Amino acid sequence: MNTTHIIGVFDSKSDLLAGIEGARSKNFIIDEIYTPYPVMEAIDALKRKSRFTIAAFVIGFLAVVGVLSFLYWTSVIDWPINYGGKPTNAFPSFIIITLVLTILSVTLGSLFIFSLRARIYPGKKYFLPDERSTDDKFIMLFDKNTSGAGFEAISSVLKASGASEVYEKEF
Amino acid sequence: MYKADVRGPLILGNKDYRQITSDIIAPIDNKAPNWWKVAMGVAFLLASIGFFALYYTVRYGLGTWNVNNSVAWGWEIINFVWWIGIGHAGTAFSIFLLILRQKWRTSINRAAEAMTVFAVMCAAIFPAIHMGRVWLAFYIFPYPNTRGSLWVNYNSPLFWDFIAISAYLLISASFWYFGMVPDFASIRDRATTKLKKAIYGFLAFGWTGSTKEWLRYEGLSYVLGGIAAVLVVSVHSIVSTDFASSVIPGWHTTLFPPYFVVGAIFSGFAMVMTLMIVIRKYYHLEDYVTDSHLNAIAKILVFISLIMGTAYATEVFMAWYSGNPYEMFTFFHNRLTGDYSFMFWAMVICNAVIPQVMWSKKVRSNTTILFIISLIINLGMWYERFNIVVTSLSKDYLPSSWTTYSPTWVEVGIYVGTIGIFTIGVLFFFRFIPMIAISEVKSVLKPTEITEKH
Repeated sequence: MNTTHIIGVFDSKSDLLAGIEGARSKNFIIDEIYTPYPVMEAIDALKRKSRFTIAAFVIGFLAVVGVLSFLYWTSVIDWPINYGGKPTNAFPSFIIITLVLTILSVTLGSLFIFSLRARIYPGKKYFLPDERSTDDKFIMLFDKNTSGAGFEAISSVLKASGASEVYEKEF
Repeated sequence: MYKADVRGPLILGNKDYRQITSDIIAPIDNKAPNWWKVAMGVAFLLASIGFFALYYTVRYGLGTWNVNNSVAWGWEIINFVWWIGIGHAGTAFSIFLLILRQKWRTSINRAAEAMTVFAVMCAAIFPAIHMGRVWLAFYIFPYPNTRGSLWVNYNSPLFWDFIAISAYLLISASFWYFGMVPDFASIRDRATTKLKKAIYGFLAFGWTGSTKEWLRYEGLSYVLGGIAAVLVVSVHSIVSTDFASSVIPGWHTTLFPPYFVVGAIFSGFAMVMTLMIVIRKYYHLEDYVTDSHLNAIAKILVFISLIMGTAYATEVFMAWYSGNPYEMFTFFHNRLTGDYSFMFWAMVICNAVIPQVMWSKKVRSNTTILFIISLIINLGMWYERFNIVVTSLSKDYLPSSWTTYSPTWVEVGIYVGTIGIFTIGVLFFFRFIPMIAISEVKSVLKPTEITEKH
């Protein structure tokens, strides 16, 4: 079922930040903010948190254990080869491959998790309230049912903070 | 005094966000210029020569090359290391400057990363074809096989190299691609034709620019940046161990890993400079790739050039200081003098002497001279690899196995072909991909605004 949304359009980052400040002072609930480039203050204002680095560390740790175990298994258990009397568990020369494969695993794993969590993948059906937000506008989106105020109240606050346009849209 | 700008505006011309998008996607919206078509024609010709030489090698075997028992590695390894070196700087540039929070990177990183991807693809051709039976190249993968489950030799730097290069290509390509996703969305949302909207819409992976996406996007950039910085250093260190872990005079030295890493970044930065000057000139992006960007790259180059000079001098000094007669012979009778002395002195002049003119501010602000120097450095870095590979191998411990080496047309053909493939890649990049990271440039516009308001 479609819901009505209130969309505030800002021309610059400073206006957007003033808009966020204004909305928060009146306890309006901002649903989402769309920006042409990352605005850390907007991310903080919506209290968005990410455990991305923890995930990357876990992948890296698993990769180190996995690669070293694989190398140990192939070189020592499965098919030991005598290279001029060197020990079959040639640990120091395993480190380089482990390092590189760990980096590879972290990269691919991070991309996968990014895809999963940020929902960025080929063929995704996306929802963009105002197409100008990938170009030059900063868009603040309110869900009319949960925003905590009506169109007039939100519009006047946003306009006072420098919004160039505020309108309603149903989707 | 305290309000003085440390660095001038990064983007000139009093742009707004919309103008930035328009300027950068203009080459994608407009028709291809004539010079682009001519350059593409030439590149296709060069690539065709390369493909024919590759076919010839596969059809008739490695006997069509001039490599022999003594000089078992010829142009193929020289060119491999040369391309990898060039490929190095893209990610190095992007990542080191990202980690160091250098905002001037934003105008240049996209092109540098593109260069990396194409250069590493060119580099990968050489070790593959050098295997002789290229269709059996998959033997190098460690997989349970029918050969008695015989695993590959994990102690060999050549295997490390294979893993490192494959990982480097995958990582550079994905870092580059995910960097482009927000820009593809910008193109998608401004597209005027349905086809363009569909193509760039697909490439944009449904990007909207919400805070949820940006938060994770930033996390991804820094995680990838942090780990890929380690990779950049390790990949070329591994390439150097292909040489350094052998007992060949002139190769068996602990200087090699840092020497190779710095050399790689040197040649890559020079190639970045070449490309940026072309982009700037032919696509009129002078407001984005400003004189101060070129000035900054020139300063880095002149500094690295000093390191290169020091490395060359250290090698010669250590040959003498070690008292090892084989090392002494290699350096004093087969590099500084002897059959290949031209290569040695060309290397020193191109890499350590000529770039020193960039100490002068006048030179650093003259685009033509910078362009010429960037080409000279790339030539010099090729001479360096020739010098390392061929001089050491041509005259080793046994005078009975001494020989000289020069390439056949097939070897030259493959090299010429990779230049063609690289150029095709770069030209496609110019035409269909935003050459400058739109969203990143927008994020550094603000200091410009402040500067201009003062």
